[in-house]
Amino acid sequence: MRKKSVYLLGGYQTDFARNWARENKHISAMMREAYEGSLAVTRIEPRDIQAAFIGNFAAELYCMQGHLGAFFVDFDPAFRGLPTCRFEGACASSALAALSAMAHIQAGLYDCIAVVGVEQMKTVSPAKGGDYLGTAAWYERESAGIEFPFPKLFGKLGDVYEARYGLDNRYLARIAAINYANAKLNPNAQTRDWFMNYDHACRKGQYNTAIVGRIKVTDCSQVTDGAVCIYLASENFAAEYARRLGQPLERLPRILGWGHTTAPMEFVTKVAESEGQPYVLPWTRKAITDAYRRAGLKDCWDLDAIETHDCFTTSEYMAIDHFGLTEPGQSWKAIEEGVIEMGGRLPMNPSGGLIGCGHPVGATGARQLLDAYKQVTETAGDYQVPGARRVATLNIGGSATTNVVFIIGRD
Amino acid sequence: MERTIQTVAVLGASGTVGSLTGGFLAQNGLRVYFLSRTQEGSRKGLEKAIAQARSEVITENIICGDYDSMLSEAVSRADWILESVAEDLSVKQAMYERLEPLRRPGTIVSSVTSSLVLEDLPKGRSEDFQKHFLSTHFYNPPGKMSACEICGHSKTDPALVEFMADFLHRRLRRTVIPVRPTAGFAGNRIAFLLFARITELAAEYGVEMMDYLIGPYTGRVMAPLATIDLVGLDIHKAIIQSLQTHTRDAMHFKLVLPDYLEKMIEQGRLGRKTRDKGGFYKRLESGQYEYIDPKSLVYIPAFQPHVRFVEEAKQLIHIGRYRDAFERIRDAKGTEADIVQEILTTYIAYSYMLVGEVTEQKHGIEGIDRVMMTGFNWASPSLLVYMLGGKNQAAELLASKGLQVPASLLEDTVCERYPFNAGRYFPAK
Repeated sequence: MRKKSVYLLGGYQTDFARNWARENKHISAMMREAYEGSLAVTRIEPRDIQAAFIGNFAAELYCMQGHLGAFFVDFDPAFRGLPTCRFEGACASSALAALSAMAHIQAGLYDCIAVVGVEQMKTVSPAKGGDYLGTAAWYERESAGIEFPFPKLFGKLGDVYEARYGLDNRYLARIAAINYANAKLNPNAQTRDWFMNYDHACRKGQYNTAIVGRIKVTDCSQVTDGAVCIYLASENFAAEYARRLGQPLERLPRILGWGHTTAPMEFVTKVAESEGQPYVLPWTRKAITDAYRRAGLKDCWDLDAIETHDCFTTSEYMAIDHFGLTEPGQSWKAIEEGVIEMGGRLPMNPSGGLIGCGHPVGATGARQLLDAYKQVTETAGDYQVPGARRVATLNIGGSATTNVVFIIGRD
Repeated sequence: MERTIQTVAVLGASGTVGSLTGGFLAQNGLRVYFLSRTQEGSRKGLEKAIAQARSEVITENIICGDYDSMLSEAVSRADWILESVAEDLSVKQAMYERLEPLRRPGTIVSSVTSSLVLEDLPKGRSEDFQKHFLSTHFYNPPGKMSACEICGHSKTDPALVEFMADFLHRRLRRTVIPVRPTAGFAGNRIAFLLFARITELAAEYGVEMMDYLIGPYTGRVMAPLATIDLVGLDIHKAIIQSLQTHTRDAMHFKLVLPDYLEKMIEQGRLGRKTRDKGGFYKRLESGQYEYIDPKSLVYIPAFQPHVRFVEEAKQLIHIGRYRDAFERIRDAKGTEADIVQEILTTYIAYSYMLVGEVTEQKHGIEGIDRVMMTGFNWASPSLLVYMLGGKNQAAELLASKGLQVPASLLEDTVCERYPFNAGRYFPAK
């Protein structure tokens, strides 16, 4: 049975360079700015919105605030009684909210759903924040008593690559430098005004301290506050919306394909199970190939860009071969040949990704979808990939535990 | 031959402006000479530049030296000489005289000054020097403040100004604001008039109360008297005096230097740079602050003012309801409300009034908007008009305060657009 098309109508991202605790703002203020900005950009009316799905990882910890869906109801008098729901899947929270919105639309329950991804993280010290993030792994076994559990886990991902295929850290430095360079082109990127280059990324020192193992500060995405509000819609709604904008329906991007897998929680289990297999993280690979299959794509070369989950340079290194840009274990080739750079054959993270643009955990999946929308509608400004028609997103939660891939494109 | 800039000589690199601006240029891949009177001074500048970049890598692009031993080499190799020496006409002119025989014809010379009269600076220099001389007024720190006001004097080659504007924007990602060669350009002219009025009001209502009333929630990252402490009271005075001397407009009478402020300067209470003596604020060992009493010039403990409409506005801002907060401010009554409304309306009226005088008429309010946002971290005048309910509501408020409503406000369309990312200018503090 042919699934009904689900359209992506754009939205708005808050400025990821902001520190909302320093501004003395409540997390709902961030959601409200994302929502109000999204109305101004998309020209969707409050009365069009039939449900609001919120992606958020840990507002209870960072902000002592749960039940985020209810805040949406305050944004407009028209929203009293609106169905809302909050989704959690660690760093993949808002991709899960988008998946669920897609399913609700395909099931014919709603025609237009607001998907909000939000995280306020600068409310606590880096050590405490690191501990909170540890709950995205198996806390008891992988995080308790460890100052920065995730750099350690993704450092281990590099160790596995090194053991199986060999890994030169200079390629990780190059990944960091590319993401920072792209972020300079993105007016919403957290690091757009930061100094960074390849030489700096290669050095360890006072200003680029080693966190754990091969992971230095420049290998990490930063602590970020941010919210994103995007809209998913049925074909009927999208057709009416296109008429309203005076555009043909074909100009609007759709979800062409998706993939969603969950791997075992513990990182050691994941890699033990992939021993002897070509891909280090086979469930991440499966989410990608499922999305290719559903979108009718032959391979990655049918894409024009990828927004991937580079929470650390090692996760982007992994994404390069898992998306199929190289044979397994040979991601370095795509880096060396400039394939993933702007102007390369398949740019990765034109937005700057998580390292450059920022990683407000529960907002990242929605941010990636918004950037995919911008690329395929050619509204990405200075970080536009010329002529982009199909863009993939990969949003992962935990140590590549929850994997969500979307392929966004237009005819 | 197409002009390029690869090498820059920064003169006055020991100071904050010179070192941070020079460091920023080095961050962007330019080869930069850091020059000052002493090698040690230039090295101190380099340390500031490294701290700003948070990377030692930039040292590869920086050569430190003193004027006596390295001016000739630096200037003869530079494509751009960025002068950031003391804000004193004779000091600058003496430096230009020294540069004249050393620079190659066609080398760009720019000054970071905004308060001296640009026309006076290159007087007596060669035709080539004058043709290639302009002002590039960077804001500090350049890593956080992207504004750069730019303008030439009567003999500057207009093509050069255009080239520099393009270079600053494309290569250095500056928010370039073309301004007219008037004292204070756009940003300082507007901001320091407001500062002056606030220092005057502080004589009556106190320092803590003024910074509470005109606090960040009114559209600025830092309260005004705290900002003067950061700038330095001596610099504040120099800018006010320059504006008093070189500008004339309907609000000129607001450019005051109250007696107590002069006395503070005499006593060496200049702000953060004289931390032990203090400024408007004095930081105690406990981390708490005391505030100077303008009447007695004695520091007094904080009394933590609490005004109902201010607290209500902050609460609304806390949850992102910015326009509702400004409706509260607009409709509030009483002495405190009058003060807040006076400052906001003066800001709006003065900014719109200066469209065409400090910036090009054709740019409308946008040039002034950009410098206030990216140079001062203040909500722009058009953003405040939007927050106050639009130009008709704002015009009504201006009129109620006895201010003339500028035609440029009534004709403005910028204030009618949805202001993306506006919340960043309104901390709930």
